Amino acid sequence: MILVVLEHDGQRLRKGALEAISRARQIGALGAIAGVVIGENTQAVAQEAAQYLPTVYAAEVGSYTPEKWAEAAYAAAQKSGAKVVVATGGRQSRTWTARLAYKMKAGLLEDTLETSTDGQHIIGVRYSFLNRVTEKQKAALPVVFTAKPNTTPLAEPADSSGVVEALEVSLPPTVEVLERLSEQKKGVSLTEATVVVTGGRGLGNPEAFAGVEELASTLGAAVGATRAVVDAGWRPYSEQVGQTGKTVQPNLYIALAVSGAVQHQAGMNKSKYIVAVNKDAEAPIFKIADYGIVGDVHQVLPALIDAAKKLKD
Amino acid sequence: MKFVAVIRQVPDGESRLKIEGGKVDLGGVTMILDQMDEWAVEEVIRLQEKHGGESVVVALGPERFEEAIRTALAMGIDRAIHLVAEGYLDPISQAEALAEVIRAEAPTLVFTGGQQADWDSQALGPALAEALSWPVVSWTTQIELEGETQAKAKHDLDEGAEVVRVGLPAVFTSQQGLNEPRYPTLPGIMKAKRKELKKVPVSASSKVEILEQTIQEKSRLNKMIDGKDPVAAAHELVRLLHEEAKVI
Repeated sequence: MILVVLEHDGQRLRKGALEAISRARQIGALGAIAGVVIGENTQAVAQEAAQYLPTVYAAEVGSYTPEKWAEAAYAAAQKSGAKVVVATGGRQSRTWTARLAYKMKAGLLEDTLETSTDGQHIIGVRYSFLNRVTEKQKAALPVVFTAKPNTTPLAEPADSSGVVEALEVSLPPTVEVLERLSEQKKGVSLTEATVVVTGGRGLGNPEAFAGVEELASTLGAAVGATRAVVDAGWRPYSEQVGQTGKTVQPNLYIALAVSGAVQHQAGMNKSKYIVAVNKDAEAPIFKIADYGIVGDVHQVLPALIDAAKKLKD
Repeated sequence: MKFVAVIRQVPDGESRLKIEGGKVDLGGVTMILDQMDEWAVEEVIRLQEKHGGESVVVALGPERFEEAIRTALAMGIDRAIHLVAEGYLDPISQAEALAEVIRAEAPTLVFTGGQQADWDSQALGPALAEALSWPVVSWTTQIELEGETQAKAKHDLDEGAEVVRVGLPAVFTSQQGLNEPRYPTLPGIMKAKRKELKKVPVSASSKVEILEQTIQEKSRLNKMIDGKDPVAAAHELVRLLHEEAKVI
């Protein structure tokens, strides 16, 4: 039996949940697949999930804490007899799945790009060493694994609809959430964008980001920032690309006045095409760039915006 | 009060990795205290400076980890426990071995890095919390003790952040913005040599096996466009992205 923990926003399944279902189907030789929806308003979301899976548990446990999520997933795994639990990658998920793996005495494969089975083990491929190494791992069942977002085709609904079953979970003592500070969302989401335009400290001042935003909006891209820029308070943390920020893998990554520290590269070095504009010809970013312009960003950026606008007209 | 930092030693991100026999070979690579663990060490020292008590580092890894442990002691940690184990051990198995020692120490709280720069894993802190049956606060950017049994903390989520109150003992993992780690001073380095470093051999089996590691540096085109004429360069770049790469 395989259990999929389905990410949702309180109303609908998230894209990651449909990727996780696909991953579970890829190892379907291990048995039937059940799903669990954890959190608030789970009944409604579970009804949607039942279009994909024969059995979906709804565990109504309130707002997110890693302790509650791990306990609910554990209860669902026990009830279904699952030997494998699949979840979406991401900061929250990688916290509670570690707790779950410990409860299940399971091997944990984090942030996998692909997964397969030989009937006794799960074999997973993932990045390590700041995204520089590709690593093949193997763990004997039971296994908990997370699927890196944007790695797997979205699942199609099944031929017939499944059943929804409420799941009682006894809640452990946990953290008390006092305040939730959400990010302001505007434009394209950074982790899902196919084009990302990132500005570095070489831009000189926060006002110069107006140009970065204009180029991004012309190209339908998301805006990214380096750690130095975020530390300087020019841009919000939610835009940071790198080891301690977000990992992106767009078709096109445009780095403007970014020097290209290893920690930054860890967040973007898997992009399909990388463009760098920097006045320092020795900047490390040029070593991993497909196209580079050695020049003053304050002159190149306005010209890029013009050229991009002409192309789009 | 007693504050514990769990640390690891990892390759310096700037050093060149090579593969030998299908695995990463760390011979000749500069090894450092993991930078996210450095934030954990600094925070533990600050908590001790503010609230008194004792600071301890605990590390699980091969003999070479001693260097990273000495760095933490030189920064100001009081004493260290080194669980010595050679070979790869996955985070869940590590948590099990670490929990035993940490339970015996009975600390007020435990701090560790949000993600380790060699495994790219985020599991150690939360798995350790589960092994101890304590709550976990991951990607912490602010922490404030409220007496000995409770703390208020701010931490990052997938989108945004939240402020939580958590009963102690608990496990916290670090995130950028938490603090600015101090450098070890020369007197600190001298003092560190005399501080207690207890070694405990550990034998455990890993739940995860690493079959193969490869470095697949994507080959890049490295096409440079002359930037002396910014307008011409910009047009040429847009043309290449549209016609050659076909990404815009």
